[in-house]
Amino acid sequence: MATFVEQVREMGIKKAVVTKSDEIVERLTAGMNINDIRAALRGDEPRRPNPRLRPHADGFWLHIRPSFYHTGVTNIYPTFRLGWLSTFMLVWETITGLILMVFYTPSPLVAYGNMWNILGNVPLGQLFRNMHRLGAEVMVLVVAMHMLRTFITGSYKKPRQFTWATGMLLLLFTIFLSFSGYLLPWDQLAYWALTVFISGGAAAPAPAFVNDTVLLVLQGGPALGADGLLRWYLLHVLLLPLLAGIFFFVHYYKVVLYGISLPPGREQVGEDTAKRVPKDERTYFNPDILTSELMWTALATLFLVAGALWLWDAPLETHADPVVTPLHVVAPWYLSWSQGWLKLADKTLVVGFIPLLLVSFIIMPYIEVGKSRRYADRRVGLTVAFLFIAFMLVSNWMGSPEFRVQSSPDREVSIQLLPEEGPGGLKGIPYEHMTPGTYSPGQVIDGNPFLTRGLELFQQAMYQQSCTLTGNPQWAPCNVEELENGGHRYSNFFTTDAMPDPIAHLEIVEIQPNLKEMTLHYEVTNPDTGEVTETVWIRPRHAFSNYEEECRFLNKSCATD
Amino acid sequence: MQIKIVIGTIAFMIAMMVLGYSALREPSRMERFTDAELGRSIEAGAEIFANNCATCHGVDGTAQECFDTTGNQIACQGLPLNYNGLLCGDVSQRMSDMGWTGTKHDYILTTVSAGRGSIMPTWSDAFGGPLRPDQIRNVTNFVLNYESEALCSQPLVTYEWPESATDFLAGPDITAPGDPARGQELFTVTYGCSACHGTIDGSTPAAIGPSLVDIETVGATMVEGMDAQQYVYHSILYPSDFIAPECPTGPCAGPPSVMPANFGARMGENPQDMADILAYLLGQ
Repeated sequence: MATFVEQVREMGIKKAVVTKSDEIVERLTAGMNINDIRAALRGDEPRRPNPRLRPHADGFWLHIRPSFYHTGVTNIYPTFRLGWLSTFMLVWETITGLILMVFYTPSPLVAYGNMWNILGNVPLGQLFRNMHRLGAEVMVLVVAMHMLRTFITGSYKKPRQFTWATGMLLLLFTIFLSFSGYLLPWDQLAYWALTVFISGGAAAPAPAFVNDTVLLVLQGGPALGADGLLRWYLLHVLLLPLLAGIFFFVHYYKVVLYGISLPPGREQVGEDTAKRVPKDERTYFNPDILTSELMWTALATLFLVAGALWLWDAPLETHADPVVTPLHVVAPWYLSWSQGWLKLADKTLVVGFIPLLLVSFIIMPYIEVGKSRRYADRRVGLTVAFLFIAFMLVSNWMGSPEFRVQSSPDREVSIQLLPEEGPGGLKGIPYEHMTPGTYSPGQVIDGNPFLTRGLELFQQAMYQQSCTLTGNPQWAPCNVEELENGGHRYSNFFTTDAMPDPIAHLEIVEIQPNLKEMTLHYEVTNPDTGEVTETVWIRPRHAFSNYEEECRFLNKSCATD
Repeated sequence: MQIKIVIGTIAFMIAMMVLGYSALREPSRMERFTDAELGRSIEAGAEIFANNCATCHGVDGTAQECFDTTGNQIACQGLPLNYNGLLCGDVSQRMSDMGWTGTKHDYILTTVSAGRGSIMPTWSDAFGGPLRPDQIRNVTNFVLNYESEALCSQPLVTYEWPESATDFLAGPDITAPGDPARGQELFTVTYGCSACHGTIDGSTPAAIGPSLVDIETVGATMVEGMDAQQYVYHSILYPSDFIAPECPTGPCAGPPSVMPANFGARMGENPQDMADILAYLLGQ
C-alpha cells in the first residue's frame, strides 16, 4: 500500500485525508468503513460481502457477541433486558468504584475521615459515592429479577442448567460484593451490620473450632478492627470482582453457546430452537442490537446519575464505635430476610439452612426435569415460586425493627424523634427555628411551623407509646393486664408496653455558640406504687450539621416541611 | 432503530447536562459538607464531654457546677474551659503561661490526649486512655466552640498570688484585715465551702472535708514553719499540697485532694474575697 505522502502526491491532500480516515475507521471497527457505518445507521441493506459481520470475526470486543439474534428474543419480553442490565451494573460499579478507591484508605484511623473528605472536599465526590452505593443496590435488585424471570420463563431447563448454576453463583457474588462494600465507610451502620452478620455466620452447624477460626479470619481479631477492615476491603475490590468476572464470562459463554431461549409459546414442548434461526427471523447485532444496547446504556446512565443527585443519598452515620451498639441494627434490605429468620428460629438452624437453600437452588434444574417450559404445564412450580417470593417479602419485613424489637416506650419515642444516627422527626428542624424553651407534645408555636410540626410528630410518637387511666383525652385508654406478681401491664393498640399517663416535654437550650441541646423528658407514675420514674434523652445539635438535607433525601418524616 | 438512536442520544445529553449542573453546585455543596463535618464533630464532642469531662470541668465548662454519676453535686476538680484565658486570642493567656508555641487546637488536643499532672488523666488510647483519635478531635472541637464574642469581650482576670499570706494581705489591692461578716457569707454561700467543711462553730458538722472548728489554733500545728494563716491561705490555693489527717469519713484522701483546685482562679477576680475568708476563719 502506498504511504500517506505518496497518496497526497497522487490524489491531492483532501482526498488523501478522506481515504486515510476511512482506512483508520475500518481498522478500529475491524471491518466497517465510514460509508458502511452510515449505511447501517440509515437502515440500508448491507453490501455484499456483508461488512457488518466482520467485527464479530476479526474484532476483540464483538467476537464474544453473536452476530444475530432470534427476533423473538429482541423484544422487552421475554428478557426484560435484565441480563444486559446486570452486565451494565457490573461495569458501572467498577468505574465508580475505581474513582472512589482513589480517595480511600482501608484503615480504621482514616476511613471514616475519608468519607467526609469525599463529601466535603472532592468535586463530584458525593455524586460518585451516591452513584456507587445506589448502583450496588440496583445491581442486587436487577440480578435477582434476572433470576426470577429465568425461572418464570423456564429458561433454566435443559440445556441451560449450568448457565443457571453459574447465575446463582453470580447472584451470591453480587450480594457479597454489595455487602462487603457496606463496611468500608467505617461508620456505625457499617460496623454493626457486619458484626451481626459475621457473628451469625459463626453460629454455623460446624465444630466449634471451625466456627471460631472462621470468625477470627473474617474479623481479623477478637472484634472487627484494622485487620478485618483490610480483609473486607480486599474482598470487595479484589477477590469478589475477580470471581464475579470469571463466572460472568463462563455464564455469558453459555448464553452465547445455547442462545437466549425463546418465549415458551414459540416452540414445541421439549424442543430448543434458539439456535436454529430462520433467515427471516434474524435480527442482526450490527446495527440493531448494538444501537438498542447503546440506548439502554444512555437511559440507565441517566437514571443512575439523576437518581444519585436528586432522589437518594448514601447514608453516613457517626464513626464506628465498638462499645456503643445502636438501638436498631438492621441488615441491608437484600439480607433483611435472614435477620427476620434469626428472630424466630434457632441461630444454628438458620445459618445451616441458608447454604442448603443456595445449593438446592443451584441443583434445581438437574432435579426439576419437566420437559415443558409452558406456563400452563408448570402450575405447581410457578405457585411454589410465588409462595417463596411472598415468604421472602414477609421475612424481609420481619427483619425490620417493626417486628419483635421493642425497647422501653420512652426510648422508642426518642429514637423516632431524635435518633443517635440519621434523620428523625425533630432533627430536621432548621437550627434557627429551634427556639430555646420548654414545649409539650402537640403544642402549636405561632410563627414557627417547623417546631409546630416537630411537636406534632412528638405527640404522634407519644400517642403510640402511651395510654390513659384517668380519661386524659390526649392518650388512648389503657388496656390493663394483671401480672403474676400483682403488678399491671398497660397496653394500647400499638404496643404491649405503654406508658400510663406520661408527662413529657421537650426542652431546647443553647449550650454553646451555634450548639443547642434538645432534651426529651419523660415522667411516668406507676399507678400501683405511686413511684415516679423520670427519664431523659439528650441530643446536641449544631447549626452546621445539616440534617435537613439528609431528611429530605432519605425521605424520613422530618419536620422540614 | 432510528428512534432508539434519537432516544439514546437525548438521554446521554441530558445525563451529561445533569452532571454539568451538579458540577456547578459543587463549591457550595462542598462547603456545606465541610461545615457539617465540623458540626457533627462538635455534637459528638458534646456527648463525650458530658459523659467524661463535665464531672471535673462542670456541666457548662466553667468548673462551677459539677455532678457525680448519681447526680449529686460535687466539687469541681478541673480548670475552667469555657474561659477566655484559655480560648481567646491566637495565643491565649494559658498557652503563654504554659509556654506553648503551637496552635490553640493542638494545645487542647495534646492536653486532652496526654493529660496534665496528677489530676487530668490521659484520654487518648495512644497514651493508655479510653478515647480514639477521632473522639479526641471531637472533644477538642467542642471545647474550641466555647469561644464567642461575648466570652472574649469579658476582661481577662489574672492575679499573681504571693507566696506568703502576709505579703498578700500587705498588697496594694487588699484592705487588711478582711471583713469576717462578708467572709462568712462567702464561706457558706458564694464558694459553698461549708457544704464539705461544715460551719466553723461546729453547729453543722463537716460532711466530706476536714472540720475547721478551731482552725485558728489547729492550723498552726499542721505544717512546720507555717502559722495558721499561712497554712489556710496555702491550702485554699493549692489543696493537694498538704492533706489533712482526719476527715469525717476517715483519713482524708489524696493527694490529689478532693477539694477543687480552682479557688485561686475564682478568687483572682476579686482577691479581697480571700482576705475576708481568712478574717472569718481565723477570727481576726
